[in-house]
Amino acid sequence: MSVRSTDPYRRLNPTAIPYLFILPVILFTVFFKFIPIGVSLLLSFTEYDMLSSPRWVGIANYAYLLSDNDLFWTSLKNTAQYSLEVLPANIAISLLLAILVNQELKGVAFFRTVFYLPVVTSIIAVSMIWMWIYNYQVGLLNSILGLFGLGPFDWLRNPKLALHSLAIMRVWKGVGWNMVIYLAGLQGIPRYIYEAATIDGASAWTQFRRLTWPLLRPVTYYIIVMGLISTFQSFGEIYAMTQGGPLDSTTTLGYLVYQQAFQYWEMGKASATAFILFGVIFALSIAQNKFVSAEMN
Amino acid sequence: MLRARTICCTLVLLLVLTIPAFAETTVRIWFADTAEPVMRVVRESIVPEFEKANPDIKLKVEFIPWGELSPKLLTAFAGGVAPDVFMHGQAATAGFAAASQIEPLDDYIAQWSAANDFGPTLNSGEYMGKKYLVPLYGSANLLIYRTDFYEEAGLDPKLPPTNWEELASAGQKLAIKKGDRLVREGIDLASSGTNAQQTWTTFLWQNGGSLFSDDYAKAAFNDAKGVETLEFYTGLMDGNIADHQQAEAVGSLPPLAAGTVAMQFAGTEILGNFKTYAPDKYPFVKVGVPLEQQEKAAWYSFAGLFLSRQSTNKDAAWKAIEHLTCKASLEQIIQAVGGLPPRVSMQNASFIQEDGNLVMFLKGMEAARFNPNIPQWTKVRDILARHIERAAFGVSTPEEALSEAAAEVNRIL
Repeated sequence: MSVRSTDPYRRLNPTAIPYLFILPVILFTVFFKFIPIGVSLLLSFTEYDMLSSPRWVGIANYAYLLSDNDLFWTSLKNTAQYSLEVLPANIAISLLLAILVNQELKGVAFFRTVFYLPVVTSIIAVSMIWMWIYNYQVGLLNSILGLFGLGPFDWLRNPKLALHSLAIMRVWKGVGWNMVIYLAGLQGIPRYIYEAATIDGASAWTQFRRLTWPLLRPVTYYIIVMGLISTFQSFGEIYAMTQGGPLDSTTTLGYLVYQQAFQYWEMGKASATAFILFGVIFALSIAQNKFVSAEMN
Repeated sequence: MLRARTICCTLVLLLVLTIPAFAETTVRIWFADTAEPVMRVVRESIVPEFEKANPDIKLKVEFIPWGELSPKLLTAFAGGVAPDVFMHGQAATAGFAAASQIEPLDDYIAQWSAANDFGPTLNSGEYMGKKYLVPLYGSANLLIYRTDFYEEAGLDPKLPPTNWEELASAGQKLAIKKGDRLVREGIDLASSGTNAQQTWTTFLWQNGGSLFSDDYAKAAFNDAKGVETLEFYTGLMDGNIADHQQAEAVGSLPPLAAGTVAMQFAGTEILGNFKTYAPDKYPFVKVGVPLEQQEKAAWYSFAGLFLSRQSTNKDAAWKAIEHLTCKASLEQIIQAVGGLPPRVSMQNASFIQEDGNLVMFLKGMEAARFNPNIPQWTKVRDILARHIERAAFGVSTPEEALSEAAAEVNRIL
């Protein structure tokens, strides 16, 4: 005759216990990520103004966006251009800063904090400050350029300049984050490799080109993927500083989704735009993954 | 026995204590303004007065910035958690009414003794013959100018422009250029966004044009009058009178206060800005008259309170609307906002009559024109604004811009 354990924990299958520990995260992910994403995907096939019931329209929203919507293509182009301007500059400056703050110098911790400060500042607060800096008539940037007989430039209201101006601000805001990631990467490279290279007579530049840069490749890959995701979804600075203008020159896909959903009450089209954006980011990430894997092999 | 008696007493006590909580009705209100003076009068004066007079009703007021109002309302309605009462501009009426999300107020208004005092402003939120809005305050888009700049340019500050030719001529004299750059615009004009639509539409009405056909089935702004209006409007932005972009505020200072423009079209809010941030400049600010080309016209709009159809406390919510729009409450709100009173009897209030600029805004109401109440209005407004901007930047000719805008508008009407 077997005796049943009275301890409820003993009655549990041992393999189920780990799942209990991760249950809160699973529930959170299912209810706050997967279900909303699924509903959003369904909504992208409907006409839905959020005030009345959705109406099934099949792929009409996707067809409308991809065929005869100039604003969608302009937004896609702006988004790609914005990412291409922000990412390389961000990588170059953050790597340079990481190398600088990786030196064993007095007061380096202070500079690490200073470079990281913009990251923890609200994007709206930062945008307000940069709007002052960029002000055409009384802005700091035009005042400084004026000392050298340059300008004034209409940084945010000239369609040829506005996107670049936003990109400069975004680089300034984001370098601190990538600097910290590069710094971790740099500190993970064993010192003896550099010592061996020095004994072999490699110059500092050669050491950077042949050792540091290749060994930081996984970090750079991570930064590129995360940077692409982040810049493709840019919204806050555009909402605060340019509202997509002038002449739609700063309307990105993220801002277009907001306009469609909350200005025009077209949640179906907004969802379709969001899924196209997802597709673009997904395809770019896969392509990058394949490229980096091939390089590493 | 003693234990049972103690439990029984505790339960009775709990029941007695929770009775008031069950008897109390809570009315949720979304107030679309986050300016400190407005929040203060609502929180510290208007709400306590109401709750004192109506102990069975509790008001829960949330202050929402204007820019976030539509997204928040949409998500609240979609989620079934809309406030009982919410504030919005009159242009929102048709969209919410067509979607059956707001309650017609005609039955309440019919029994309301104060209704007559609102006069025609009570029609500002009318859609398909039903009234949905009780106005709180109004604003407009009138010419505002600096008298010190007028004198400096040899113009008589008592004689502001009355038509387009006088406007262009004054703008020319008031503008100051340094090289190719305007350091002071003669007149500041909006070329993008809602401001561009409102200002250009005012010019269109002054030229005898209209936005739509009489039955609202077709765009009418692309006719000869519309093209002539846009030609004049964009012609002012030639770099000698005005830039092709609206002047930027300098921190909290409106461009007129900062001295970077001499004249601009603005609403009553700018007067409040001057009084708060540039009180020394306020004596040099004057409000002009509505311009007249073919007709005298000026854009006006009212913001007010709507009753949500989702509300389960409609009668209590209406009581709250009555209180928020009574004369005593309106006086406090309007003084804090710097808006126009919707009630006729308030037009002679001392705080209005003592300010010549507010009086000019009230006088201008004789020529008041409002944006149409149609469900597609926000889309139409943005289409128009986008094409006005294209014309202002020279990407399209005025004729092309209006033809393209009309084609887009006709597709959605």
